[in-house]
Amino acid sequence: MAFLIRTIDLTAAGREIVRDRMVDQASLTIGRAAENDIHLPDLAVEQNHVRLVLQSDGTLLAAALGTLGFGLDGRTVTQGVIDPRTGGEIALGTARLAVARESDGNISITIRQIIPDEGKDDALRGFALASVLPSKRAMSWIFAGAIALLLLLVPIGSHLLRTPAKNDPEGKTPGQVLMDAAWSTGDLSLRHHSLEDNCESCHVKAFESVQDETCISCHKDTAAHAAMPRQTKGMPALSVGDALQWNIAQSLGKEGPLGCVSCHSEHEGKVRQQPASEAFCADCHDNLDSRLTDTKLADAHDFGKAHPQFRPVFYASFGATKPVRASLDTRPVERSGLKFPHDVHMNARGGAARMAVSLPRYGKPLECKDCHNLNADKIGFKQVKMEDACESCHSLVSGRTAGGGFSKLRHGNVKHLAEDLARISTGPRATPASSRKRPGQFARGGTYAADFGRPVRAYIGLSNALSEGGICTECHIPTRKAGQADLIPVNLPDRFLVSGFFSHEAHKKEKCTDCHAADTSKQASDLLIPDLKSCRDCHLGATAVKTRKIVPSSCAMCHSYHVPSGQWSPKGPEPHYQPAAPPLVRARVAAIAGTARN
Amino acid sequence: MATKATGGIGRFAQDERRRDSDHVSFLKHKGFRWLWIALGLCLAAIAGYLLIDQEPRPNGGSWYGYTLGTIGFALILWLSLLGVRKRRINPGAWSLKAWTSAHVYLGLSLLVIGTLHTGFQIGWNVHTLAYVLMLLVIFSGIYGVYVYATLPQSLSANRKEMTRKQMLEALTAIDRQLESAAQPLGRAEADMVIAALEQDVFAGGPVARLTGSYPGCATARALRAIGTGSQAATRVTALLEKRSEQLAQIRGQLRIRAMLEIWLFIHIPLTIALLAALTAHVISVFYYW
Repeated sequence: MAFLIRTIDLTAAGREIVRDRMVDQASLTIGRAAENDIHLPDLAVEQNHVRLVLQSDGTLLAAALGTLGFGLDGRTVTQGVIDPRTGGEIALGTARLAVARESDGNISITIRQIIPDEGKDDALRGFALASVLPSKRAMSWIFAGAIALLLLLVPIGSHLLRTPAKNDPEGKTPGQVLMDAAWSTGDLSLRHHSLEDNCESCHVKAFESVQDETCISCHKDTAAHAAMPRQTKGMPALSVGDALQWNIAQSLGKEGPLGCVSCHSEHEGKVRQQPASEAFCADCHDNLDSRLTDTKLADAHDFGKAHPQFRPVFYASFGATKPVRASLDTRPVERSGLKFPHDVHMNARGGAARMAVSLPRYGKPLECKDCHNLNADKIGFKQVKMEDACESCHSLVSGRTAGGGFSKLRHGNVKHLAEDLARISTGPRATPASSRKRPGQFARGGTYAADFGRPVRAYIGLSNALSEGGICTECHIPTRKAGQADLIPVNLPDRFLVSGFFSHEAHKKEKCTDCHAADTSKQASDLLIPDLKSCRDCHLGATAVKTRKIVPSSCAMCHSYHVPSGQWSPKGPEPHYQPAAPPLVRARVAAIAGTARN
Repeated sequence: MATKATGGIGRFAQDERRRDSDHVSFLKHKGFRWLWIALGLCLAAIAGYLLIDQEPRPNGGSWYGYTLGTIGFALILWLSLLGVRKRRINPGAWSLKAWTSAHVYLGLSLLVIGTLHTGFQIGWNVHTLAYVLMLLVIFSGIYGVYVYATLPQSLSANRKEMTRKQMLEALTAIDRQLESAAQPLGRAEADMVIAALEQDVFAGGPVARLTGSYPGCATARALRAIGTGSQAATRVTALLEKRSEQLAQIRGQLRIRAMLEIWLFIHIPLTIALLAALTAHVISVFYYW
């Protein structure tokens, strides 16, 4: 076996000069010295650098003769094996010796000079991931730019350039600011949900917190809990952290801790606002008198432990123009102007019961609901009307009409009574148009009749009716007004407990007499409003343990912040407050017989 | 691991100490000093969150929320300054290792501080965008610490004592042999070899690099097509196999490098995006106060 040594040189013009020579020996030496089989005139090559030895298995053993290694297939080694069938390349200085097996079985060694590759170091950059990804700097600019533009500059720009519109309480006006939905920290509450697309309706000015006046521009009817200076004075001291935050916030134009938004925290999700906790009320109302020394309100912080006695509204004197409020502890006496013993009417074996049993309308002894009917709000009761509730027994029938029915005295106005009594003496008349009658039929009770006497009988009748023992004084108290007989007007408030909310509907499983001592009340002057103690049979404070009997009751069960007599309802249909139309006039007076005084 | 210098105050002991500290990982810097500081910060933040009863629910706008937000904002600004710090070779007490150690641990503590600042209120808005970007930056950072700790070993093992330059040279050497060996081949097979030789060694996108899967590899295709029908074909196949092996080593190198570097392509751009989102978050909150 021989080596075919082929040297390829390049001329200046780039043409290849190929020189072949055969060396018929089993090993070759390569080096700079001339005595080598392959002589490489290159200073980077050792005098005697590598020896190639043909081994028995047909492979070539390449071994460095000195300490300096050589390149074999790209890596630097001092010894290596080349299989001529697959080939190999030895690198020595600028020379590349490609080893291959010729078809005749000889081993060819092709020597070429390579031009040093200047771009090799640049190629190394390809190893970095950066070569196949966009630059970090470009990505940074694109991301940051997009965010700053879309989420900052567009909303701010459109906010500054908009034409401010008047607030729309219906919430149907769309907002003008673009992309500010991305600024919303959460859905608005159910009531404000229509304003979701109109941020600037509440956030009116840039860098200014939502102002109370903006809220009030729609919520015109919402009453203040109390005058602001009194609220400020009644408030307990803030914690250090809260005080610091409010100091900073208020110096930057935020409304104080008593502003609308400090309680009505928005963007809390599409839910209804929850009622405030007992602690929220107790913060101020526990020890309120220590801060607000002139307050008429007693301290309260837990219905079961500390709550003042109820102070119902009632008329304390006959014919009073204004009702008074007094604690039930003072055993108040009501002067409604009526005579009405509840016990007589409610006694199941008494005369009233007998009478009721005999009447087809009742058929059984009287019950509360025969006279008292709930209002639609389920809080108060409808006015008891004499005609509906009393007249079945306390009849005002005065005679027969010509048609065969009964005539009766009108109730409610003394003037009407006088007219009706005067008419009694004239008696009923037959219908004159039925047929022609002879004059002889002039008579009392006939078609033609007249009383040409003085109207004394009518005056006597009126005087009898209005004086002690008369028909009117069965229920009313007689008085004299401007020298004339008259009755004391009936004064009953529409609602007795005006600063709290009480639903009769929620208590319909109870009997009326469980709370109202009507069955033992002998006089109308008994104020039959249940006291605090009787409520506490079931209702204790919010921290009480719920049992079959005990209902833990927070302040919000009976009171609401803006409407003291209303109740905050966390469930059910709108509105949140009950009653729907809050009675802002605290005690609307019902003077049932008031018209009689005209 | 360097041994600890015992006794002696002279230059030697001093140098020993310095050498010791030079070989301590930035994670273990000064006995995990910044880990403890970050843990303390997190525990204090959690304790405060649990102790303060915020009505109606925890919120970034409460005084505690603002406190956490301010701390978080300051931390993010400072953490993003690592890129500036590492480019400034300054004398002074500002050790880059201490800075990096603090960067890692304080960055991790932001997971707690940022999450508490949200009050667990998440939505489709700029505020949650900032939070999510922060999470992505932190998680990419955690990945970065992990791969820096584990991958350099496999990178070194894959190199088999070759430099990157040598790997490319080895491939060039094989290519030169392939070119001459392929001379006797027919047109179709020669085209295959040309395609293999002409294909850029770095061909393939980031996905190919990360997965190590190169379905378009011309060398593999040529290897499949050129059989061992003739002596020349056998030789070319043998050389293509060698080329394939060499490519595999280079691609292994590329894969490990890619896994080692990919996190920075998330960490850095998202940090800058986070700074923009954070600015929008802070400004928008007070613009619509």
